[in-house]
Order: sequence, then C-alpha cells, then structure tokens
Amino acid sequence: MGVLLAFLAGGVAMGIGALYSTGSADLPVQDQQPLSFSHRLHAGTLNINCQFCHRYATQSLVAGVPSMALCQTCHQSIKNTTPDLQKFQTFWNQNRPIRWVRLQRLPDHVYFTHEMHLLAGLSCTSCHGKVSRMSHTPRAPSYEMGWCLTCHQQRGASQDCWTCHK
Amino acid sequence: MDLYRRTLFKLLGLTAAGTALPGCEREVHNLVPYLLPDEDIVPGVANWYASTCQECEAGCGIIVRVMEGRAKKIEGNPQHPLNEGKLCARGHAALQGLYNPDRIQGPLKREGRRGEGRFRPISWEEGLSEWVEQLHSHARTSAMITRPVTGTLASLFTTVINSISGRLIFYESTGERTVKKANYLSFNRRELPYYDLAHSDYLLSFGTPFLEHWLSPVSFGVAYGKFRQGRPMARGRFIQVEPRLSLTAANADRWIPIRPGTEGLLVMGIGQILMREGLTRLASSQQASLQRTFTSFSLDDISAATEVSPDVITKLAHELSSANAPLIMGGGPAAAHTNGTETLMLINALNMLIGAIGRRGGLQWAEPPDSPVETVQPELSSEQMLTALVQEFEEGSRSLLHLYLADPLFTLPPSLKFERVLKQAGFIVSFSPFFDDSTSMADLILPDHHPLESWKDHFQADTIAVPSWNLSQPVVRPLYDTRAIGDVWVEAAHRLGGSLGEQVPWNTFQDMMKTRWEAVLPNHHPPLSFETRWRNALQQGGWWPVDVPRQQISPDMPSITYELPEFLGNISDFPFYCYPYPSLGLSDGRGANRPWLQELPDPLTTGMWGTWIELNPTTAKALGINPGDQVRVTSEYGSIEASALLFPGLHPDMIAIPLGQGHRAYGRYARGRGVNPMMLLGPKFDRQSGSLATGGTRVRVERLKGGSKLVMLDQSKQHPVLQRMQEMGGVS
Repeated sequence: MGVLLAFLAGGVAMGIGALYSTGSADLPVQDQQPLSFSHRLHAGTLNINCQFCHRYATQSLVAGVPSMALCQTCHQSIKNTTPDLQKFQTFWNQNRPIRWVRLQRLPDHVYFTHEMHLLAGLSCTSCHGKVSRMSHTPRAPSYEMGWCLTCHQQRGASQDCWTCHK
Repeated sequence: MDLYRRTLFKLLGLTAAGTALPGCEREVHNLVPYLLPDEDIVPGVANWYASTCQECEAGCGIIVRVMEGRAKKIEGNPQHPLNEGKLCARGHAALQGLYNPDRIQGPLKREGRRGEGRFRPISWEEGLSEWVEQLHSHARTSAMITRPVTGTLASLFTTVINSISGRLIFYESTGERTVKKANYLSFNRRELPYYDLAHSDYLLSFGTPFLEHWLSPVSFGVAYGKFRQGRPMARGRFIQVEPRLSLTAANADRWIPIRPGTEGLLVMGIGQILMREGLTRLASSQQASLQRTFTSFSLDDISAATEVSPDVITKLAHELSSANAPLIMGGGPAAAHTNGTETLMLINALNMLIGAIGRRGGLQWAEPPDSPVETVQPELSSEQMLTALVQEFEEGSRSLLHLYLADPLFTLPPSLKFERVLKQAGFIVSFSPFFDDSTSMADLILPDHHPLESWKDHFQADTIAVPSWNLSQPVVRPLYDTRAIGDVWVEAAHRLGGSLGEQVPWNTFQDMMKTRWEAVLPNHHPPLSFETRWRNALQQGGWWPVDVPRQQISPDMPSITYELPEFLGNISDFPFYCYPYPSLGLSDGRGANRPWLQELPDPLTTGMWGTWIELNPTTAKALGINPGDQVRVTSEYGSIEASALLFPGLHPDMIAIPLGQGHRAYGRYARGRGVNPMMLLGPKFDRQSGSLATGGTRVRVERLKGGSKLVMLDQSKQHPVLQRMQEMGGVS
C-alpha cells in the first residue's frame, strides 16, 4: 500500500515538474514567431533604419511594433516567393494582425522610456545588441537592474530609486 | 506507523503540487500591431480630451486620458469655472460605467411577462420601427421620465414630446427642489445663486451637506478650501446645524445638533435677536415687512422646540453680526420636512437681514447671458407630480412610458405606488444603458452610449460664478452596439414626419448641436470661422464668458407662513424620526454598480458594501441593541432589516440610514445588496414644492435575533467617533 502511494506521489510530482519546466523556461517552442522575420535581412542587408519601423521610439515609452500597413508599403511590390511571405500576405488579405511573440519585456514595477534613452544619445544597439546580424531575434538575455545601473553609473545618469521605480 | 507514513506521503505530494502549481502558468506576451495606424495615436503616449462629467447634475469639466483608444483616467478640467481642476470620487468612477460588465450591449425586446427579465437581442432597425409604431398607436398618451438634461438634448426632447402631445418629466431624487422653490419664491429667480463661500468669513449652514453631495460638491469643496486656507490673514469660521453629524458637520468648527424639522425656528430666533438689538444690515423700512415673519414665535418657545439654548442662539446672532462677510446656507436634512421650503425661505430672509444678498462673500446671481439659445434650465418635477402621473396611467390618459436614466421604481418609496405605472402602461421604452430596477420592467430597450462615447452639451447656470456651456465629446469609440439617445430621437423625429421632420431637419444629433453652438459661441475680432471656434471650444470643454455682471435683487421679500413639520405615524407607536441620507459614493443608488464606489468607506462610519442603521448609543442601550445586531426598522408603510451601527453624532430620537443599496436589479455589484430605506417612507410632501419629505415618516426600532455582517474598514467593533468621544470623556 505504502509503495503504491509512494509511486503515486512520485508520479504526480514528476508530472507537475514537467509542466513546471515547460511553463517557466524560455523554450524555443515558446518563442516561435507566427512567421519567420529576419532583422538581419531588414536592418542588415537592406539597411533599413530601426526607427523606420519602430517609429515611436523617439516620442514614446514604447518603440512600437510596425503596423501591418507599414509592412505592406514595401511588401506590396515584393513577390511572395517564400512560404513566410505568402503567410504575411494571407494575414494582410484577411485583415488579421500578426500576433508577434513579445521577447523583450520589463516587469511592471519598472518605468522605462525609449524616448529618454534615445534623447540621451544611446543607440538602439547599446541595449538590443546588433540585431542586424541576427536572422532570428532571440529573447533578451536579461535586462536586470545591475545591468541598468552599471550604464547609469558610467554615463552619470540618475541612480535615484524613483527614476525607474515610480 | 502506517499513519505516519501516509501522512508523510500526503505531505510530500501536497508540497510538490503546491510548489509546482504557480509554474504552470504559461506567460506568453504578444505584440499585436495595428492593421492601419491611426495618425492621432502614438502607442504609449496619452491623448487628453476635454469633456463634461455626467455622473451627477453639477456638470464639472473633466479631462480624460486616452491611450491607444481606451479611456484610462478622468481628472478635473483645470480651466473649468465650476470645479477648477478638481473631481470627486463619483467622477473618477465614471470609467467603471464605461467598462461595466453589466452594460446593455444592444437593443433588446422583452420576452415573457413584463419584469420577468427575459429579453432577446434585436436589430436597431427593428427596435426603432417598433418604437415609432408604438408612438403612432399611443398618440397623445406618451410620457417621458428623464434625468434632468439641459442644452440640445433637452431641446430635442421638448420638441418631440410637444409634437406628440406627450408629457416630459425631468426627475432627480436628489435634485434639491426645495432649494430651487425657495429661491424662486424669495428672489423670483429660477437659477440658484452663486454661493461665494470663498470670500466669506463666517458660514452658518443649516444641514447643507455641501462637502458630500449637495448641488455641486466639488465646486463647494474648492470654495471651502479657499474659505478656510486661501487667505493669509483670515480663516473662515464654520457652524453646521443639523440633527446628524454629517461629513460636512464633522469639518465644522462647531456642530449644533437640533431637533429635526425645527431649523426654521432657530433661523427665526437668530433674526429676532438681530432685529431687537439693531444688528441687521438692512434699511429699517425694508426690515418692517420681515418683522412679523421673524417674531411669530418667542425665543423661549424656539429654544424649547429646537433644543438649542437661548445663549447659543444669541451667540450665533452676535457672531453673524460681527463677521465681515457672513453667509447662511440651507438644505439637506433642513429641507427634508413638510416645512422645507419655508425653512429655506426664512434662511433667504436672514441672508437679506445680514446683507449677504448680492454681496462679495454672499449670494450672487449672474446676469442671464444674452444668447439666442434658451438659457433656462428645465424645471424639475417633484415626487408629488409623479404621483399625479400614477393617476394618469391608471385612468388611461397616459399609456406609453419612456425612461431615460431615471429609476423611479427604486428612488421613490413604494407608498407612492409608482409600480402601478409600470403595470398599467401599455408599452414601456427605456433608453438606459443599465438594467436598473425600472428598466427591467421595460418592453423595449434602446440603450444609450456611455457619456464618454457620445456628443452632448449642457448649460450650467446654478451655483456657478459665470454661466457656462459645457461640451461632451466622444473620447473612445463605442464599445458595444449602443446608439446615442440624441441620434435615436433625431431618427424618430424623421420617421414620425410631418411638421416634426421640419422642426428637426438635422441628420445627426451632432449636427443639431453644432447649429445651436453657432449661436452660442461669440465671434471676436478678428472673426474666426465657426469650425475654428468649435474646435477651440472642444479643446477647452465648452465656452464660458470671463465675467458677467451681477443681477440686482429686490430687497422686498414675500411674507412667510411658517408651520411646524408634520410627521406620519403617531409618536407612541413610532417614537423615532427617520432620516435616509444620500450616500457619499452611491448617492441615491446610481453609483451602486461601480465597485470603486461600493468599496469607498463612508467617512464617518467606515461602512461599505451594504446598508446599516445608525442609532445613538444611548438609544441603543435603552433598546438593548449592541453594535452589529440585526435590527428591524418599521414605519406605517413598511419595514427593513439591517445591521445596527452605534453612532454618537446623531440625535437620540433619530434613526439614520444611508441610501443607495437594496436594488432588485442594476447588475452584479448592486443587485440584492443591502436594503432600500425608501421602503419606509410614506406619502408626505413639502407643502410648497411637493418634494418628498424624506424626514417626514416616524419609525420604531426593534432588535432581532442574531447579528449580521456589515463590511467595515474599521474592524475595532466600536465606532471611531464613539471611541474618540469616550477618550475625551464625552460618552459613557
């Protein structure tokens, strides 16, 4: 009886453990975008300025994800030769937005604005790395507080708690 | 041994499950782009739109923070002359009206019996055709009960209802009709004066809950701040006279408890002393006509009836005469009796005696604006007039009922028999956006947009220094398949055709508004196009002149026949006065479906999410009632049961109960919560204005078995005010 119970408890724990690891870890499956978008192609090969697509970065908290119409301004004159391009066209034709998986996200208790950082003279790559060399954008390594503070220290920016934790 | 092992396994299993469960949540955040970008929207950057708060009739200017097309926060409009950038809790909670999960999301038609609550969704076309058909078949027998609206919507309602020989009733239970009636009888003015509290140095208030819900609490709050702290050398002194210590009384320098309904006598006593000692600021010839009014009772009789000692009365008179700019206000519980209007007229006369009329720091009336657009606010109907409507529906001379943001089934006492109207009516159409108690009885519901989704305008002339025309504009796209009531009525006018179609030639309500605003907005030099002036007005939240001249008020006052208040119920069976007072957050009940307002603790008792019955601790002791006991309050007309709350700031012969709860419908947050003290009240009206005398029904109280749960912020079983008074040695 006791052995049976031990197996049962062990089984439950293993099952739950499996679920746990699926939920918390950044599995490649989880970061799978609805269609494969390459920053290397757009920002690298084609040399499109970051702010052409992320056009709110200098005036808002968020950099902004480009509207479907903005993508379409170029893509209307590009042949749908790959499956991903065809997928994009299907989204557009059906009036459906692409639900991108969000890879960079700060916790709610952090107040961060793109606008202030760009105005201070930082470039996009200072924080986001050289995305122009990445065909698949990975999840951000870790925007931890120590990392922010190091830069704030080096550049003489405010280190007051209230600056980022309003 | 087995037992131990089992326990261990169970614990292991539970621990593993408990640790792992939070991890099961798969948190994937998405970024969803716009299909087509909106030029005016920058994600992450707020747009602020000016509009007008419609949570009560005061008409404060608001600015609404909108991000990505969603209204996120409401603040006061700093430019608006009424509220000067401030806003009350109810104004803030307007967002919970917009996003309320119990909003009616499209037109509905009744299925099953009336009041059963079964409706089926219909199209707008079907709804409009049905309504217009009913208007044709019930020609000349229509009635419309609406909340008091002003401006273009009032004009549209009037035009349409007149053309079908209907009856238009502007009704609001907290409309302070006695104040308006007394103002008209005393000064011959329809609009209420601007109470220049900010420049006064002595305020004697008879019951006015001006810091809670009276007329325009936000503008009074702003003025009160200036009255107390706005001047470096002067701090206004403030005396509040009323039988129950309200939040306003708790702010006063002195609270004078008085026997309910005798406030007028105290006014007389003060007037007598001022006249006798020659302390008035009125020419003796003008004073003569007031002599009789103020001397019809002797000071000793007054003192005995009011329970205010002659010394206190004399002191009040002397303080009034020695102040530079004294001001007297009256309303709330002082006007809740059969002699309400007379009490307020006496207060008006006393204001005349102390020279407060037309003076800085007193009562002022702005000159009516010289405008081609009507500037008279619609007159409110009294409860007595609504009882006449009951008769009309019973006789059959009225049969089609329209309801708009009015819930008479809830706000009127059942003794007025309004339920009969809802039973007798041939057809009931409601335009309300919520299933309030009355709308649940409707046959057809054509739900209005939320104020943040629609166009409206309002003319504001009461209690404001300069009359203002306020604008409401849609700040978000409509969330549901609702339609602005203005557009629905314009459409109905077209379908009814005939001369009405010619009187309402506009395609939309917005067009109608703009036509009227061409006349409202002044054209300065250099002249600007109407579109520019309109845009400027929208940006500002409306239009108001910088300053206007003040009206001259004749010092001749009508004579006042004061009578003592009458009560329903004899004193031996029903020994207590009863005062149901509008709640700070829920008002007369319209705030009950906003959780923010439900969880807003009453500032004095800390009660929330329910109804309680306030008793003086001495009274409670005599009746053997402890805090939290379930008690029953009974009048000749009904009874209610709720939890007892001992409140020392209450006349020992009085029971006070907050209004706002006890809805039969009105959504998940309001339905079935607490009780409605209106159940107790009988058909007793103020003699002059016909308003319901809410303090005019006597009650008895008895303890029931068991206690009941009342949610209170203060968990210390004892009332904070009581505790404080005990610490000071005031209450045993």
